[in-house]
Amino acid sequence: MFRIVRRRIDLAALDRAVRDAKAGAVVTFVGTTRNENAGRQVRRLEYEALESMATKEMRALAATAKKRWRLRKVGMVHRIGVVPVGEASVAIAVSSGHRTEAFDACRWLIDRLKEIVPIWKKEHYRGGEIWIGAQQGGPAPRRRR
Amino acid sequence: MRIRLRFFAMLREKLGAAVEREARAGATVSAVWHAFVAEHPEVARVQVRFAVDEAYVEPGHRLADGDEVAVFPPVSGGA
Repeated sequence: MFRIVRRRIDLAALDRAVRDAKAGAVVTFVGTTRNENAGRQVRRLEYEALESMATKEMRALAATAKKRWRLRKVGMVHRIGVVPVGEASVAIAVSSGHRTEAFDACRWLIDRLKEIVPIWKKEHYRGGEIWIGAQQGGPAPRRRR
Repeated sequence: MRIRLRFFAMLREKLGAAVEREARAGATVSAVWHAFVAEHPEVARVQVRFAVDEAYVEPGHRLADGDEVAVFPPVSGGA
């Protein structure tokens, strides 16, 4: 399962998608939106993606992970649009025969996702908004009416 | 040749969703982008990556007539 979704991430469906009779472990990473960042009081996050390429890149990452570790199945889901504080914006599940591989691969997958999958995050905070990763000399707060 | 530049995230907000530009036959992605940046110095400092046909390409990638170049500011998926 490799998906970009606009609603709540269905964690149970992701878990089912990576279950495998030969797996002795399922490791799931769930990234949730936090209410503060760099001292800013975050109200909500908003994500944008080049969807078709994002799912393609997620599949490619999973294929690379399967070459590097002995894995059974991999699933990756990213939510886009507005994600309220406290909800999951990304979830990655990995199953493998033994837990070590699943832990290591899951960690690698989320790190790589953040580096190369074409998804962008805009933080709406108290007093302004900012695209994360695109800081050009700090935030430029939007004047509030 | 005709090249379409498509923008995302903060670039889309500053520049609009897409623009079309004429470029010399065989021009590289980098040449087309730099010509565009000369018109829009406000985005000159943005670190960008490029994709053509939904795959990352190097700045030296040569374009063909009708190509669409996706111009990405730094990605920031995750939580």
